[in-house]
Amino acid sequence: MRVLIQLRPAPDVVAAVIEPGVRATAADVAGRLPGVVLDQAFAPVAVPRPVPASAYGDPLSLNQRVEFSYAPQDAAVLVRGEIADDELSTRSVLLPSARRDVAGVFADPVIHSTPTCGGDGPVGHWQDVARLLGAPEMTVEGHDGSGVTLAIVDSGINAAHVQAHLGREVIIDTERSWSPPGVGGTPGEYPVAHGTMCAFDALIAAPRATLLDIPVLLSPHNVAGLLSDAVAAYAHLRTVLEAMPAGSRSLVISNSWGLFSPGQDFPPGHPGNYSDNLAHPFNLIVASLDQAGADIVFSAGNCGRECPDRRCGFPDRPITGANSHPRVLSVGGVDTGLERVGYSSQGPGRLSDRKPDICAYTHFAGSEANGPGTPDTGTSAACPVAAGAVAAIRTRHPATEISPAQLRTLLHRTAEDRSTLGFDHDYGYGVINPPAVLESLGRHTRHAA
Amino acid sequence: MVLLTVRLPPGATLADALARLELAEEDVDTAFGLVPIDPGTGLYAVRVAEEASHRAANTAGGPFSDPPIAPHGSQDPHDRHAPPSG
Repeated sequence: MRVLIQLRPAPDVVAAVIEPGVRATAADVAGRLPGVVLDQAFAPVAVPRPVPASAYGDPLSLNQRVEFSYAPQDAAVLVRGEIADDELSTRSVLLPSARRDVAGVFADPVIHSTPTCGGDGPVGHWQDVARLLGAPEMTVEGHDGSGVTLAIVDSGINAAHVQAHLGREVIIDTERSWSPPGVGGTPGEYPVAHGTMCAFDALIAAPRATLLDIPVLLSPHNVAGLLSDAVAAYAHLRTVLEAMPAGSRSLVISNSWGLFSPGQDFPPGHPGNYSDNLAHPFNLIVASLDQAGADIVFSAGNCGRECPDRRCGFPDRPITGANSHPRVLSVGGVDTGLERVGYSSQGPGRLSDRKPDICAYTHFAGSEANGPGTPDTGTSAACPVAAGAVAAIRTRHPATEISPAQLRTLLHRTAEDRSTLGFDHDYGYGVINPPAVLESLGRHTRHAA
Repeated sequence: MVLLTVRLPPGATLADALARLELAEEDVDTAFGLVPIDPGTGLYAVRVAEEASHRAANTAGGPFSDPPIAPHGSQDPHDRHAPPSG
């Protein structure tokens, strides 16, 4: 573990550290500390001694007015080093007794910049996202979503708005679109809202995909939607998938929604529970559709520890239900600087520990579906960005060639790792990298030939 | 309302499900109808009143929850803990 070691060397050594024109090294200050690997690249730093402002002050209390002395006989010096994890507690205690100049051993934790949160302005532009996804190159190579069906299971699409902001024609298949009983309207002509943002974001990587408009969040039940609306939608999508020629099946389903509160579900452990129960009918139909060849992509949710959506009701493990299903791609959010946004839910998931699977881009200037100047935000945006990337890959690689499970594995393997440890519960396997997936598939095809 | 699952032969109708579950039409959400969950195994779902689900306990799977779902974002823009606007 990385540590900071506070030393009180001889005053002339402290003076050398303080003196701007002199370069003192960690070895000059600390010599050899047993069991500590000193970081020689870290220049020693002088730390002042707090001295009571009053002559009658308590020399050991910081709860009084103090002054800070950089006088060489008062100041201490910090050096940085590493102590083996399994020896940390004993060495931290024994070092000051073995070496009289060691005043203390302190943690040196990793620190981060403040993450992007819900109320922040856009970070980058959708064209930056296209570039980061390698979309222009993929389009030139014919991976543009042509012939791939991409279902936006959300609040309905306004195609005219998407078209105006994307600057190109949008293909919506009204025949194969579907809405819950009691939901009127025409596919592609719903009011501009969340679903329009999702459609726009999906088309960044797959501009020629054929969209299906599935507005399950326009429930007539006086709430955003009911899970049973999604059950019925998935039954419809199964008929869509089965009607496709077996050799060219390509159906990608984008889902930027979820359950926010355990109070609206049967409790975990109850056999009818949804959040933690693979046997719930919706979780069964998800598995069955994946088995039949659909790529199912879910947002991880907006309950990240740094700035959770205030509706988040799960006290821990906020990636729940189908959003954490082992047979879906669960997508967290990063900004265009590749930093995780603070609201992106962290794993482990409730149905599967290793969630989120990967991250994709969010919080960029894009559809302006929420108003001029507002970003496309939430894992709600990251999910269709990833779904569009999957659709672009599917252009020439249908489910009969590479199954949804195999494609998820490839997405994991090729993701740009954002930690030093491989998988982690913040970024999953890393940030989506579609060109690397295509490169890997190309190698596979060349080997097979 | 809640969801029940029932196993039926291929091509089954809502009337077949009602007969198997010994329920009346007014017990179920007829607009939802009979929804295939896994046609390969003959598993279907119906949406029923919670009270009726107890009567079908011996012949159905469930009851399963039918919670509200919401988009991972909303239109509320202004504090750092506000839902992301997407």
